[in-house]
Amino acid sequence: MGHMVSRTPPIHQTKSSPTHRRVPSPLHPPATAAAMQMQGRLRRVLRAPPPRILLYHAISSPPNGGNGGGGGGGGGGCGSGVAVKQVTRGNMAEALEKLRGRVREAAFVGVDLEMSGVTSAPWRDTFELDRADVRYLKLRDSAERFAALQLGVCPFRWDPAKSAFVAQPHNFYIFPRKELPSDCSSHEFLCQTTSIDFLAKYQFDFNTCFREGVSYLSRAQEEEALQKFNMLYHGQTATSSTNSEEDRDIPLKSASDILFTERMKMNFKEWRDVIVSKPMVDNHLSGNIKCCAGQFQTVFFKMRPAIMLNGFSSHQLKLIQQVLRKNFKDLVFVCTSGEDDTSEKKVVYSDTDEDRILLMKDVQEDLLKNREERVKSAIGIRHVIDLLSSERKLIVGHSCFLDIAQVYSKFVGPLPSSIKEFALSFHKIFPHIADTRHLMSVNQAVQKLMKHKSKSLSSAFSLLCPASYSSVEKPSSHPPVTIEVEGDETTSSCFISGAKHEAGYDAYMTGCIFAQLCAYLGIKFEQFSPLENLATNTKLHKHINFLSPSWNSGTVIDLSTGMERPEPGYMRRFPAAVYDNIIVIWGFPSKVRPKEIKDCICKVFGSGSVTTVFSIDSTAALVQFKKQESVNDFLDLKAVLERADSAISILHPLSTILEGGQTRAAKYDTYRDICSSSESKYLFADQAEAVCATSKNQLGENVDDNLISGVLDGVALASVTEGDGIISDSKNQDIADVTCHDILDALHDGKALLVRRM
Amino acid sequence: MAAPRAAVASAKQVTRQNFAEAVRELGAHLEACDYVAVAAQKTGAPTGWRRALPVDTAETAYLKAKLAAESFQPLQIAVCPFRLRSSSPSTLVAYPYNFHLFPRDELQLGMPSYSFSCQSSYLSTMANDGFDFNMCIYDGISYLSRVQESLARQKIFTPRPQQLLPSPSTSVSDSVFVNRIKSKILHWRKGYADPSKKDDGTLVSSLSRLILGGETYGSRPSMSIDVCSDRQVQLVLEAVNHISDDLVSLVVPHKAGAARSVRVIFTNSKEDKNLLLMDIQKLEDEQNFKFRGFREVIDLLSSSQKPIISYNCLNDMTMLHTKFIAPLPPNLHEFMCSLKMVFSNVVDINHLLRQIGPLRKAKNIQAALSYLQRQYFVPIEIEIPQQDGTSSVTKNEQNVLRITKLFAKLSNLLKISPECQLQSREQCTAVEEYCNIFYPSCVVEGSYDANFAIESDTTETVSTDNIIFLWGFREKSVKELKSYLIGLHQAFSEDFEVKLLDKTCSALIFRDSNTATQLLKEINSEGPSLNRFFSEGLKAAGFEVYRKVCRLGLWDSDLAEVLEDVSSELGVPTLPECSTSQIYWNSALMLDLKEYLEC
Repeated sequence: MGHMVSRTPPIHQTKSSPTHRRVPSPLHPPATAAAMQMQGRLRRVLRAPPPRILLYHAISSPPNGGNGGGGGGGGGGCGSGVAVKQVTRGNMAEALEKLRGRVREAAFVGVDLEMSGVTSAPWRDTFELDRADVRYLKLRDSAERFAALQLGVCPFRWDPAKSAFVAQPHNFYIFPRKELPSDCSSHEFLCQTTSIDFLAKYQFDFNTCFREGVSYLSRAQEEEALQKFNMLYHGQTATSSTNSEEDRDIPLKSASDILFTERMKMNFKEWRDVIVSKPMVDNHLSGNIKCCAGQFQTVFFKMRPAIMLNGFSSHQLKLIQQVLRKNFKDLVFVCTSGEDDTSEKKVVYSDTDEDRILLMKDVQEDLLKNREERVKSAIGIRHVIDLLSSERKLIVGHSCFLDIAQVYSKFVGPLPSSIKEFALSFHKIFPHIADTRHLMSVNQAVQKLMKHKSKSLSSAFSLLCPASYSSVEKPSSHPPVTIEVEGDETTSSCFISGAKHEAGYDAYMTGCIFAQLCAYLGIKFEQFSPLENLATNTKLHKHINFLSPSWNSGTVIDLSTGMERPEPGYMRRFPAAVYDNIIVIWGFPSKVRPKEIKDCICKVFGSGSVTTVFSIDSTAALVQFKKQESVNDFLDLKAVLERADSAISILHPLSTILEGGQTRAAKYDTYRDICSSSESKYLFADQAEAVCATSKNQLGENVDDNLISGVLDGVALASVTEGDGIISDSKNQDIADVTCHDILDALHDGKALLVRRM
Repeated sequence: MAAPRAAVASAKQVTRQNFAEAVRELGAHLEACDYVAVAAQKTGAPTGWRRALPVDTAETAYLKAKLAAESFQPLQIAVCPFRLRSSSPSTLVAYPYNFHLFPRDELQLGMPSYSFSCQSSYLSTMANDGFDFNMCIYDGISYLSRVQESLARQKIFTPRPQQLLPSPSTSVSDSVFVNRIKSKILHWRKGYADPSKKDDGTLVSSLSRLILGGETYGSRPSMSIDVCSDRQVQLVLEAVNHISDDLVSLVVPHKAGAARSVRVIFTNSKEDKNLLLMDIQKLEDEQNFKFRGFREVIDLLSSSQKPIISYNCLNDMTMLHTKFIAPLPPNLHEFMCSLKMVFSNVVDINHLLRQIGPLRKAKNIQAALSYLQRQYFVPIEIEIPQQDGTSSVTKNEQNVLRITKLFAKLSNLLKISPECQLQSREQCTAVEEYCNIFYPSCVVEGSYDANFAIESDTTETVSTDNIIFLWGFREKSVKELKSYLIGLHQAFSEDFEVKLLDKTCSALIFRDSNTATQLLKEINSEGPSLNRFFSEGLKAAGFEVYRKVCRLGLWDSDLAEVLEDVSSELGVPTLPECSTSQIYWNSALMLDLKEYLEC
């Protein structure tokens, strides 16, 4: 029944569908038709628009400029009236089968994810100043730590007869359940409180998600599971023939064991005798077995009489096996997996040796097949991803770099170590990705329209698909592309009107935006054959597979090459970073503001010496110097000041940040190392300490104090006496001793400073 | 047998909707009760070697409890004040409450918790048991810990009334100040209170307002008086008190803390004043709810000084401490001291179970209860006067009622009596004798079968010197491992026990500590006698390395991985330092708070 014939002409199918929703209303511009009509019908089930909708959009998809979010979306965005198919464990198989045909027919597929959080600590937010590798590390941390809770998939099929797109939004609930007993990963995931609260504001149904969400195995996990099963399989066949020596003899220690063994022996004998004495008639035992077979009830297993062994402890089962081995050649102990994960133990009567071998082989094969099936069903939601990948359709997302990283980490395997590797391996799986956020920036007309507007999903949707809100305020040069929503033929019980921040509806909105953007790019869908690959369209092709790694990166990455280039038209808020000139400082007194850090460093290194101080959180900051040599000078000076327990270090201008003795500083690479750690502390300073405590480089602890004081005389005093002067020139003038340089070199190595404890 | 059966009782379900009312009731019940049982439903528990293991010392067990408390989030906390009367049959009167929690950021300050961990198997089980996540997340009560509240109070300032303290002698400058303020207020007040001016037009009144420098508080006229010390605040309050009854003053804190002002509000009648005071009170209640939320319950428990009864004390108390009091201190000693200041008497049911021989093997509350049911005759009449209409009983309230019931029975058997000190009757024990001794349970939570763990009866204390951590054996069972080791070194021919700690690492416990230290020495110096041991890929480390792993909080990977990292980092063979501790092998560990407070 689940096998829909995909050859059925789609047009015919939809026309005959009773739940197909279309109002051929000449009064309304076509794109509104579906939405308008649904509104009346579904008003009752609509979820009330919660207040403060847009303020929170920033959490799930950071808006441009970080200024809070899409004011443009307006309050009307909530009650969409778009029927979204809800998929949970119960209807997964059926929905997947239908989706297959729909994706095959689709011109493109809108995709969206809802996650349990975005950043595991405030300092893990992406900053404009982040180097590409650091940004990727932060993204990877987020993708690995948080769970995907909903996957929205919305195929858009072009219907030439109606000259419209037909969309079928699906909303899959995901929950990472442990489906396989062999799977020993802990399945722990993080929830960001604000994200969960945000989802709650949009009436996200956590009960459905946790109870009915579909689980998954990534490709890597599947492989591992199959391997484990194969090993088990081979191991088991081995034990059944040879290794069984080991558990052959369980010493019967207690009286109860002996009594139990004896009674079992008698019971089995009794049962066996009954079986043997009554001839078989058509595979049924003739006489009334029940009364003769004592406490055992006879069942049939592979056409052989058998007993179910229920309610025995594992120790007792071992004793039973021993009894069988020792006393009954024709009774075989068989363990099969029954319904719902339980293993069923049986004793089967098998009269000849050949039959016994046959039986064991049969059982083993069943076991293997059963396990493979279990693995297959455990793949769960990944079937959807595999389906999208194998159809090689154009996938459309909105600001979707984090989404695709999540998809990779959850459904493919562990994220690679560099962004380039990630881009290339993702590209192999999904050859065509379009990001509507990027597409909006490539067309002049769209840019003009979106000027000063938030580029969040809902805001873009209300601007580019204005007809959906029944106002034709901005007559644009092209008529909007018509989009209809198509329901299912069978039941409507699993349909709920879509609402913002439900993955299914967001996927639908993304697709709608994409269709309009295509029109802006001059793509005429009217001249489109339904099965043509949109991804290879010349007008679109040059924008495919380009997306921004984050909203504030100012770059675009080409997934097909893994190369990043600056995004044209991106307005930087900070001067471009020179990473060799940057140090990271943490652990300074919490009352110290970035401005004060800048001032006190400038007092020592000269007024123009610091270009930027960027606050990571209340405990840490990035400081960019004008000159690269200032980095080492600063680190040296800091080390020296800390070493010298004297008035100099208290009077020194840097004491503002060094006060408290917990202040650490290091080069930018250390910042990267700290970001790459799997630890996640709330404050950066705690994180850095935790990482450095475990880092293996513990050198520089035993520096000779005499040498240090020599350095101190040279450097620290010079800096103090020179006041505002730049110390780098005068540095080391008085120091003749070469070993001082060696000591300093040792100190330069950032980690040496990190591990120092005062 | 008069089997005491708990009726299908359900606790009062509390969300932010009915929190205020529930707290009021709970306060009254706490007053009248003898004990309070507490149970929590969290989003997960540590897995693998991060659980408390039989090799853990009190210190490492604490560090593990700390990890769990910091990562997982309580979603429900059940509190059940109860009264026990040892009449015959004993009666138990219980008032269970089940509070739904969610760490919503009510003040937009990133508190109480930025993020929390969930274990999907835990959530699955909860979901199957019918746990209502939506209720929790949509309507759960938020909270701030005491430390968080004081942080928040530094960032968000609300004017609040302050009590006038009995003032010490006033100096000359004080009285000058008071007089000046007095005349200022009097002048201002005249503009409103003088009945002769009532007929003034609106223009005049607004003009006078302008001139007098008045403001409004809501619809009422008010004026601000700047002050620069707490003393001045008191003086202003005093002045206001002297002038008239129709003035209400609020103290307005300032960002810097010290400099503040006092706001004086004019009310035109007694009723109006009461109305204003009620408004202020309401505002304050709302603010307090945002600043404390559920913590109000914890504060109530703390101030009531009633003994707290809990099952998994170390886990629950660390959780309560970190969520509602302050971040957990780095070591057990400080934790115990800090906890004692909040809850002076905490009884671990696990400790009581250990007083009754056979019960020490009970894996969980359920098992203990059914054992008691079968083996002892302890008739107890249970009365739960308040019932919530709902028919479904959540796991958490079930747990708290089980704890209550179990404690009632145990205290009957052990002759613990709440009235002990008062009446000093024969053979009764004060509950204090059992307080503050925790057993971190090594048992996986959630296994509710009523079997007893197969566990030897004897509790041995083993020194940490006798333990060697072994890894690199690939997937072998304990039995395989033991027979495999015997061939590798003569030390393994001696008597030792093997326990798998996680899938990568196991602990070897030697009877003789010399063997262990000797073997460890040889391993560290990579002696030739161990060539086969090393070539098989085996690695070993002493307890110090494990202790260090726990102290550094390297919880993220498999135990073998971190032991390897840390031991290679230590580089030079570290002989066990002077700090040799004891572990309670083969049993749960015991932490005696008194012991920690004495040192």
